[in-house]
Amino acid sequence: MTEPTIKDEAAQRFSEPLLPIEKKLIGWSLGIGVVALVALAALNHFVPL
Amino acid sequence: MGAEMSDIALSSAEKRPFRLTEDGSSVVVGLLFFALALAGVVGLDLLGWAATTAVWVDPAKALSAVSKSYAELNGALALGATFLALLATLSAAVWATGGDVKRFALAFVIVFAIAYASWFIGSYAHLAAVTPADYAKFGIDWSLKLTNEGGFVVALVAGLVIANLFPKFAEWLKEAIRPELYIKIAIVILGGFVAATAASKLTLASSLLLRGVAAIIEAYLIYWAVVYFVARKYFGFSREWAAPLASGISICGVSAAIATGGAIRARPQIPVIVSSLVVIFAVVEVLVLPFFAQTFLSHEPLVAAAWLGLAVKTDGAAIAAGGIAEGLLLSQAAAEGVKYEAGWILSTTTTVKVFIDVFIGIWAFVLAYIWTNHIDREKGEKAKLSEIWERFPKFILGFIVTFAIVLALALGGGLTQRLTPALAEANTFRVIFFILTFFSIGVLSNFRKLWDDGVARLAAVYLVSLFGFVIWVGLLISWIFFAGVKPPLAG
Repeated sequence: MTEPTIKDEAAQRFSEPLLPIEKKLIGWSLGIGVVALVALAALNHFVPL
Repeated sequence: MGAEMSDIALSSAEKRPFRLTEDGSSVVVGLLFFALALAGVVGLDLLGWAATTAVWVDPAKALSAVSKSYAELNGALALGATFLALLATLSAAVWATGGDVKRFALAFVIVFAIAYASWFIGSYAHLAAVTPADYAKFGIDWSLKLTNEGGFVVALVAGLVIANLFPKFAEWLKEAIRPELYIKIAIVILGGFVAATAASKLTLASSLLLRGVAAIIEAYLIYWAVVYFVARKYFGFSREWAAPLASGISICGVSAAIATGGAIRARPQIPVIVSSLVVIFAVVEVLVLPFFAQTFLSHEPLVAAAWLGLAVKTDGAAIAAGGIAEGLLLSQAAAEGVKYEAGWILSTTTTVKVFIDVFIGIWAFVLAYIWTNHIDREKGEKAKLSEIWERFPKFILGFIVTFAIVLALALGGGLTQRLTPALAEANTFRVIFFILTFFSIGVLSNFRKLWDDGVARLAAVYLVSLFGFVIWVGLLISWIFFAGVKPPLAG
């Protein structure tokens, strides 16, 4: 059974600003992800299997 | 639904002393059916009595045993034997995971009956027949052309009706409503099927591996980061909510949300609520996306296959969507005179999804490291490498084992002639586990209860992320890597 506090929390906005480590996680993930995808796309294009 | 998902999700997350986890039992059951089927390679037909359903107009002729060796076996008896085999093995699995075997057995009788009846209905010629040759064979002049895999949708709808109109009945069935168990067993068995498909065209299969890596990068590094940022910055969710939500939306709904919740030490109810939401959206996607693929991607079937693996966020729904899409796309191509070899679309969706699943443990460790060493530093714990193993979805190992065995037999042993009928018997059970998965997902999807759980804002994040980003970026990536790559032609 769902507790009332969980239901209230799901509807609530939290004042919890992004920490520097969270910004790093987001930034690095996106950066590495985009670079890696571009590299794989290039590999796929120039060295097709 | 929150409580039911909680019972099922927590039972799969806990490690019971002297008991198997749900992952472990799915590997055991999957390998058991696979091994029994594979005995056919050495001339022992141990599963040929399993029931299969052909497309029908005369219901009396629909059911039969899957193997010609058992051709004399009455279809109803074959179905009865199939039911008893499943009841015995799944009851043992439930016992091994500490479940209530008696309640499971009673509920499973009804679950199997409704689920298989749905498959039977889905095989009715006016629903399933596709080509003019089919029409002539069955003496019909119209059909919905869903192929018999429309039976999956019938099972899903049957589950949805029960969940939303007969919630007390759904509650009574809950011990046998185990979509995670059923789909994990199916995936273990599916490994052999994927390997046989890959062995037939090794170069194409190798290129699919490269594209699978692209899928992992997209899911973990790009999707996760964007969804987490949107949830935190624009919807104001706390870290405890945003991390499981990001994993559920971007990686693999139930498993990833629960693994992430465990990694960051979130309260157990949070990933369970996220998982419930993911199942609802996956249900909608399964009902819509395969038909979208048929309409807009019929000339790029592997783009469609990869896209479904990226866009549909539970294993069961994604692979099932791949199966439905395969039926629709192959029939569309056949109507245009192009006969693709069966299995490639399903295998591509499965490969993409399995690749994404493999890295759940690693991503959970990354998050555990960041949370324990940087965010919750004061609690004094350190993330351990053993957490990768703890979080790793073990059923993937079963998939790898069946894949490796069949690949070795197909490439090294020259046993293709015996492998094909053996795998067909394993596939019969794989299909049944798919049907049980679809039905179970439907039964768990009580829309009103989910709304009462207060998930409106979570659903808003999901809607914005899925339709604003995940679906379209997934389509773009699938197009970049799979456009122009076609399944081999049949024969």
